[in-house]
Amino acid sequence: MAKIVVEHLKYRYPLTEELVLKDISFTIEPGEFIGIIGENNAGKSTLCQALVGIIPNFYKGAYGGKILIDEIEVAKQNVSDICRKVGIVFQNPFNQVTGSKLTVYEEIGFGLENMGLPRNEMIERIDYSLRLLDIYKYKDRNPFDLSGGQMQRMAIASIIAMRPEVIILDEPTSQLDPQGSDEVFRAVQSLSHEGITIIMVEHKMEKIAAYSDRIMLLQDGQIAAFDTPQKIFSMDDLDRYGVNAPAFTRICKSLNIKDEKTGCYPVTLKEAEDALSLSGKGGLRV
Amino acid sequence: MKSISLYQDKNTPVHKLDPLSKILYIVVANLIPVLLGNRIATMAFILISIVILTIGRVLKRTAPMLGFSGLVLITVVIIQGIFRQGNATPVLTLGSVVFYKEGLLFALNITLNVINILMSFSILVLTTKPSDMVETFVRLGLSPKIGYVMSSVFQIIPQMTETMATITDAQRSRGMETEGKLITRLKAFFPLISPVVMNSLITTRERAIALEVRGFDSTQKKSFLSELKKTRSDQIFKAALILVFILSLVGRVLMWLK
Repeated sequence: MAKIVVEHLKYRYPLTEELVLKDISFTIEPGEFIGIIGENNAGKSTLCQALVGIIPNFYKGAYGGKILIDEIEVAKQNVSDICRKVGIVFQNPFNQVTGSKLTVYEEIGFGLENMGLPRNEMIERIDYSLRLLDIYKYKDRNPFDLSGGQMQRMAIASIIAMRPEVIILDEPTSQLDPQGSDEVFRAVQSLSHEGITIIMVEHKMEKIAAYSDRIMLLQDGQIAAFDTPQKIFSMDDLDRYGVNAPAFTRICKSLNIKDEKTGCYPVTLKEAEDALSLSGKGGLRV
Repeated sequence: MKSISLYQDKNTPVHKLDPLSKILYIVVANLIPVLLGNRIATMAFILISIVILTIGRVLKRTAPMLGFSGLVLITVVIIQGIFRQGNATPVLTLGSVVFYKEGLLFALNITLNVINILMSFSILVLTTKPSDMVETFVRLGLSPKIGYVMSSVFQIIPQMTETMATITDAQRSRGMETEGKLITRLKAFFPLISPVVMNSLITTRERAIALEVRGFDSTQKKSFLSELKKTRSDQIFKAALILVFILSLVGRVLMWLK
């Protein structure tokens, strides 16, 4: 049974003329890792917010179609109830700090207090998510005194601690250095292996290609393509969507090396290496 | 980060007391002098407050508060000492100005009461983390939303000041004059308003959404991360306060009966 079913979703922000989401339909299976890519203003963040019910509960405007998560219609629920099922991490970590807690530890506990969890379970979950995001050492710091990257990890940790079945991440690594974003991707991947459905908006194509099961390419409020990373990045007209393929794919494209099994260009370092050695072009080690 | 709360983070027995005990102390320290209606009770409580503040190592912090109210109190002494209705017994003559005993005693009462109130409140304010205080109220049934407003103010106002400083710096780096004569500084204030206000509005909306996705508005009964600390010293302190209160109540009744 599909985890998320979106049927003919349309949305227009208040006081605007044009639809931001134009008739979007798709289904996502439980445990999938979905990447969402597309140029600016393609509707990526709007779609994320619709999946949690912030649209239409917070932003009014015109809404059509429906989103079902575990067969519950999102638009008809309170965001506060949906958040037990679907967690979302936003782009700006600064505005996700509640401001009512004095330490990182308590900050992560905020959502758990609202869920009414018993104290020992809270502590166990907070410790787990602090360690998963590698910010345990900052647990006694004031949330506002953290750097952008640390704050971003805290924002992710505070959603993970709530253990939703679906986690939506809207550019979660925008403020992180390469090492930090690697850690976040690995943490998210381990959640994915635990069976949590992940939906992630990201501009770092190498990363999204390596970690996603399927990629949704959005353009101008519509789904241009929704397929495996290999198929998406092998598309010939990728430039038209304002998306750059990962470096490995571009190299292989210009060398015209394809993965023999799938007939697509490789998208990760590993795949590129395999394809190169198989094709025998120079036998170079990458 | 700068803090706008007066709380002093120290590890003393006073800091460990339950906020409710401190609130009870405020109530008792201000009610008993009213009940008994004499100066000695007020002075006794001022003394107790000073002792508690010393144990909490925050006595020095009361100086600015006392200094400020001192100014007001001096005017009270002057005005009541000279002009109070019913002034009859002169005690001090400075040139043509005469201070009367009745007025001065009345002013003394006011002064002692003000100092008593200030001291007893400083115990609560200086030695209790604002978030702990709010949490105590929420546990007692205050709406978590009001609690959130109370505790977030302590962090969000300094944040806004910081945003304002950043915007000023950004404007200055693009050549705007923000320092110098009063008129220059006034002029520099206006271009600040719209970015600061817009920024706060956007931040507020985003923060509201962020709270929402963490279940803030959920109908579920909330639980608390920090443990309810019910220590022995709390119980003793509270019991002593209640005992003193009952004794003075009995004393008052006995005085009536006489």
